[in-house]
Amino acid sequence: GMAGPLEPHLEALRRELDPAVLSVLLALLAVAITLLVWRLVQGRRSSRKAVLLLGLCDAGKTLLFARLLTGRYRDTQTSITDSSAVYRVSNDKSANVTLIDLPGHESLRLQFLERFKAAARAIVFVVDSVAFQREVKDVAEFLYQVLVDSTVLKNAPALLIACNKQDVTMAKSAKLIQQQLEKELNTLRVTRSAAPTSLDATGGPAQLGKKGKDFDFSQLPMKVEFVECSARGSKGEEGDADFEGLEKWLAKIA
Amino acid sequence: ERGGNNSFTHEALTLKYKLDNQFELVFVVGFQKILTLTYVDKLIDDVHKEFRDKYRNEFQQKGTLGLLNGTFDFKDDFMRLLRDAEESSKVRAPTVMKTFEQSLKSQKTVKCMIETRGEKPKEKVKNKKNKSSKKEGIEAVAAPGKASAGDKQPSAGGDKEELTKDEILQKNREEFFKRHMKSGEKSSKSPKPDAHKEKGKKPRVWDLGNSNAKVLDYSNSATNGSAEACPVEEFDPDIALGDRNREPGRLYDLEYESDDEAEEEKVVQNPSKPSVKKGGLGGMFGMLKGLVGSKSLTREDMDPVLEKMKDHLIAKNVAAEIAVQLCESVAKKLEGKVMGTFTTVTSTVKQALQEALVQILQPQRRVDVLRDVMDAQRHRRPYVVTFCGVNGVGKSTNLAKISFWLIENGFSVLIAACDTFRAGAVEQLRTHTRRLNALHPPESHGGRTMVQLYEKGYGKDAAGIAMEAISYARNQGFDVVLVDTAGRMQDNAPLMTALAKLIAVNAPDLVLFVGEALVGNEAVDQLVKFNKALADHSMAQTPRLIDGIVLTKFDTIDDKVGAAISMTYITSKPIVFVGTGQTYCDLRSLNAKAVVAALMKA
Repeated sequence: GMAGPLEPHLEALRRELDPAVLSVLLALLAVAITLLVWRLVQGRRSSRKAVLLLGLCDAGKTLLFARLLTGRYRDTQTSITDSSAVYRVSNDKSANVTLIDLPGHESLRLQFLERFKAAARAIVFVVDSVAFQREVKDVAEFLYQVLVDSTVLKNAPALLIACNKQDVTMAKSAKLIQQQLEKELNTLRVTRSAAPTSLDATGGPAQLGKKGKDFDFSQLPMKVEFVECSARGSKGEEGDADFEGLEKWLAKIA
Repeated sequence: ERGGNNSFTHEALTLKYKLDNQFELVFVVGFQKILTLTYVDKLIDDVHKEFRDKYRNEFQQKGTLGLLNGTFDFKDDFMRLLRDAEESSKVRAPTVMKTFEQSLKSQKTVKCMIETRGEKPKEKVKNKKNKSSKKEGIEAVAAPGKASAGDKQPSAGGDKEELTKDEILQKNREEFFKRHMKSGEKSSKSPKPDAHKEKGKKPRVWDLGNSNAKVLDYSNSATNGSAEACPVEEFDPDIALGDRNREPGRLYDLEYESDDEAEEEKVVQNPSKPSVKKGGLGGMFGMLKGLVGSKSLTREDMDPVLEKMKDHLIAKNVAAEIAVQLCESVAKKLEGKVMGTFTTVTSTVKQALQEALVQILQPQRRVDVLRDVMDAQRHRRPYVVTFCGVNGVGKSTNLAKISFWLIENGFSVLIAACDTFRAGAVEQLRTHTRRLNALHPPESHGGRTMVQLYEKGYGKDAAGIAMEAISYARNQGFDVVLVDTAGRMQDNAPLMTALAKLIAVNAPDLVLFVGEALVGNEAVDQLVKFNKALADHSMAQTPRLIDGIVLTKFDTIDDKVGAAISMTYITSKPIVFVGTGQTYCDLRSLNAKAVVAALMKA
């Protein structure tokens, strides 16, 4: 049916062109199609292989990053740009994820989050357990901004809240941090949705959790876990870091 | 975004930094502020070059893991470079003293220079005070001293180096002693060349007899700057009056600088245009070169694009000095960066500029008024907000809008009328109070009056009224106190003092500066002077400065939204509210991406 009207044209083409040239053209076309298909497949497979390390300034993200990759302690400075590297899960050779360490500084964190949020398969939100009492509002604000982001809500990457710096005696436990964050996020979602709408706003900010009930991390579309860890390690800088919970979770994710 | 300025001072230390954008490295050198070390810039350049060449492979091949795992043993190289830099500066120090001697000898040495270039090093050895060899001397020292200097602590992110303070102190003590010894000689020798020159002067002939007042009258040529061009001795009242008559009814400004500046801007812009045109043709080849393969950005590539971007920003009402600084910082951030294939210089620069603008509009902490009011509610004290700004920006109107928003969210508001100067200010607020109470009657809020006005009429002291209002609010259980102040020009010292006193005495929780979006370069001046006044007159250790900005009259500008950038750049404080009209509902919060999109739109 459809080949009918095309056939005379194809015949004309075949007669006009040299068969060698025609075969070369066909080969090129085949190669191009293969490349396209391969890239699409690659893209889909590796589109979300990243694990983002987020958190406030001085939470310990860069040290955790270094410890996970090299196992050694390093002096770190405040990051001003992202760092990424492939992390191989210890037991399983084939499973690997790309760890991406993002800066926590207020003026940088949102633009780096914008850049990498689409590629995130999982998010590790690092919290400084020692300074938590003082910083609870800022921690909750950043966590809120991450959670209401439309891309994050759509992809629902697994979320791990790593309560870092547990080697210090004054560190708060993960349970306490969870309770405080839930309370603060409960208040925040009321105040943020009541804020004046922004210029060119397309609808209001997304609603976090269920209305009517107090906010709970189980109301979120993604899996949330809390884990305690210490990047410096209880034995000081020479010893290993204390983050088995984190490593197990990463193994699960990969 | 402030990358244009490469030095930073904190307490007793000064830090200078250099960026390597190709491998994303930062080189920082710190030294004591009181020491003026002349070799710092050269040292940092040498360190940069040496380090980059030495570890180039590791950066390129191994990436992040290479940085984490690699050991960068740079200490010996750094010490070597440091010693060389110090020695080169010592060689220079005596030559700086003998400037006039060099000028006397310069005629000799220039001739020698032209004839035999090979003799330069010999001259240097013979006569260390030779000025012309000074320039060559630095290169000669640098060539053998290519030994790098860098004490590198292996670290994941940036690289930091510090000169040991004791060494610097010792070396500079020696230099200081040398200078003290030579200074006596210098002062005795300096009058000599001046005396020589004066003999050469010929007396000037003033032809006063022939000249007419008309000949020396330049007032006809241009009205701009006429008051300054006319020489004072030749002041002729008739001509001056004649000027005024020519333009009757025109109000002269006290300073005519505005017109001069406009002319200067035009003059500056004109030469830049032909360079842009020339750059167009050459840019075609550059663009093609840039499309294929990876090439690193240089200053020359970026300059035409940055010029265009700067003009574009200024056309969008960004303050001129801020546009310049922004472009400088973008240039510094992109210099030496390797572009990927199929990216043009223009797109890279635009992308970087867009990121810098978004970063500026999202500064430190977001001010969440409702959250803070809830906190204050828990502690049973009122949350005090003060509005300040120049005349006519919309303080009272936006105060009414904000109180409407607060009432909608269930907080009771007390408006303190501390504008005791402007006619009708108190009545205006009373009308607003009445209307708001009509919109939200006490019955619908459990019998509580949601908004009340606290006023004491006209002519009283604003700070006193504010204090009374706050204690009244605390007694009556109001949640928020909004303090309206009179508009004042930033140059008016007594009024600025009064405002500073009001803020220092009452310690409000939030100090909002109200600025209109129509303002251009004035925004910089206003904010700087307001902050300065607040800082100067405050008794406390950490003075209360402006905490946030309210941008008003946003609906009157279409996409010339540059004022937002200027204001947040100067203060680093966020824009808390945006006023977009004159009804109660016209209150918005800032959307950084939308503003930047409007700014970058062609």
